[in-house]
Order: sequence, then C-alpha cells, then structure tokens
Amino acid sequence: MPRVIVANLQEGMTLLRPVTDKNGMILLSEGTVLTEKWIERIQDMAIEAVYIDGPTQRTIPKEEELARLDARFKYVEEVPHMKLLKKLIKEHIEGLYVQ
Amino acid sequence: MSSEIIQVQRSKIENIGALPTVPATLKRISAIIEKPRVTLDEISHFVSNDPALTTKVLKMVNSAAYGFPGRISSVSHAIMLLGLNVVKGLLLGISVFEIMEKVMSGLWNHSLACAVASRMIAEKKGVKDPEEISIAGLLHDLGKVILILEFQTQYEKAMQETLQKGITIYEAERIFFSNAHSDIGMWLAEKWRFPKNLVEVIAYHHNPVLSKAAPLETAIVHFSDVLIRARGVGFAGDPFAPSLHPAVFDMLNLSEHDIKDVLARVEESVDATEDLAL
Repeated sequence: MPRVIVANLQEGMTLLRPVTDKNGMILLSEGTVLTEKWIERIQDMAIEAVYIDGPTQRTIPKEEELARLDARFKYVEEVPHMKLLKKLIKEHIEGLYVQ
Repeated sequence: MSSEIIQVQRSKIENIGALPTVPATLKRISAIIEKPRVTLDEISHFVSNDPALTTKVLKMVNSAAYGFPGRISSVSHAIMLLGLNVVKGLLLGISVFEIMEKVMSGLWNHSLACAVASRMIAEKKGVKDPEEISIAGLLHDLGKVILILEFQTQYEKAMQETLQKGITIYEAERIFFSNAHSDIGMWLAEKWRFPKNLVEVIAYHHNPVLSKAAPLETAIVHFSDVLIRARGVGFAGDPFAPSLHPAVFDMLNLSEHDIKDVLARVEESVDATEDLAL
C-alpha cells in the first residue's frame, strides 16, 4: 500500500509502517492515526514519505485510463506480440481499480 | 516538407565541455568520469563535496530502482555496494535528467521506470549484475537530452511530426537529424569509458539484434522501454507504444505472469518515486 509524500499527508490517515529516525528508532508506531500535530512533526523531520494504510487513490477514472491505452496502441495493434502486451496491461490497469 | 537534415557531429558532442547549452554540473561530472583511471576515492570525494549531489545520490540508491531500500547512508558505502560503473552511471543520470525535466517533462519518470523494469527482468533472467542493467535502463535515452539542448527548435518539430504522422520519436529523429539519440548516447558512453555492454545497450536499444557483446542486456532494456511506454509511465517524446522486436520476445521468453509482475512492481515504484523528482 501507498507511500505518501509528507507534503500530501492528511489528518485521519493511519500509518501502515512505523516512522523511524535515521538509526531505526521508532518515533511513531504503526497504526497511529495522524493528527495535525503529528503531520507537522513528520514534516519537520528529514523524511520524504511514509506508508499509509488503505487503497491508493487513483486520480484518473478507469474509462479514461483505458481510452488512453487504446490511443497508445493505435498504430501497433497488429504488430506481433503487441496484442498480448496490450491485454496484459489492460488487465493490470483493471486490477488497480478493484478495491 | 522542406526541412534540412541536421548533421550532428560526433566530435562536437564528445567535446561536451565546450557545448554552450550544457549546464556546469554536467560538465563537471563529465570531466571527472572521463578520466582514464578515475578511482573510487576521487568519485567519492567529488560527490561528498557537493551536499546537494550527495543527497540525490543517496535518494536514488535507497529507492526502489535498487535493492537496498533505506540501507545506504554514505556515498562511499554506495560505491562499495554498487561498484564504480553503477555510481558513475547514477551521477550522470542525476545530472542529465535534472536538466531533462526542464526541457522534456516526463523523461525522468520514463527512465526511472525503465530502470526498475530492467532490473526486475534481469533478476528473473538470472543476470549477474542487475544493478548494471538498471543503470542501462536509466541512461538509455540520455542522447535525447543532448539533442534537445543543442537543437531545441528542430527537436520540437520532430515531436510535432510524431503526432502528425503517427510515428515514434526515434523515427522522427531520423527524419530531422543525421543521427538518432541512440548514436549520441553511444558516443558519450564511449567517451565516458563505460563498459562495452552498457555502450551497446544504449546504442542498440532500438535495434536489439545488432548487439554482439550484450544481446541479453540490450533485449531487456528494449523490452522495458516498450513496456513502460505502452503502460504510459512518463513521457519519452511521443505518446505511442513502440513495436516490440519479435526476437526479443522470444529471447526473454517471459511468461504472462512475469510481465504482470513487472507491471505491478513498476506501479509501486512510480508511487514511491514521486519524491525522487530531483
């Protein structure tokens, strides 16, 4: 599950993995529900991202993603093996939207 | 269409320190890397003297593209674990793509995703140094950076051409320039004294059957390039999935499960590397 950049953290998110300092000392344990205060503290540390519980939020709707896939393959549909590749990528994309 | 083919001169490109458009960081790194017997100490010293560069190197080696998440804390440690060629490649990747994000947004993501996919396929194929293939994946398009910096107007025309004709940027480059990005990347890789296999991957990632010294490595990066573009991660000059070379498909002999595995890993790493936007 998703790594969230510290700048994008929001109140109410739950830590999937503990936040540690450079030496591995645990600062916030897993399962901590983030409050505004915790988020500020995390943002003050030299940490890039933390792991948050829950599904990745997909910003592009599935139909749009699949339409883009069609557009990318427009000129190579008939090239050997590209059908297979497209099928696998399509299944992969569809899998991303299953909650 | 009345466009003149631009002659790209190897001697000029190789003299990268004299190209006015190339930023100073890249020139400094180039000057260090091209030394015939550059030592680990010299590289380590060079990087350590530049805090911004140090941070970027450490971010990269601790990222999903390499196998040591969060475990490498110093440049000398990175060099010991990854080897000189990989660190040389990383330094170049970092300095080249920093520029690139400014001129072609998305190429860094494309390259990073290729690095992840290449490393993973290399592992599946039991290649001895997956890190070196990862570097090849990271650097395969470095020629595009130089082409854009040197011939910005024509390169923009070439990108327009891809949309009008439904061709790839590699095909468009060959309409507008005497040499494609793969040639330019090869010239520089040779100048920087990269090992033969890395030079060949860069030179032949669009014509993988031409590789003699590194057919498997070249096939891996070719496949990764096609897969990443087909998945639509980043941007490499045109919005199309290029054709996969059938010989590469046969050579790698990846199962459907393998391919989906690679796609899943790339997806994770794309999420995780948002903060690697250097």
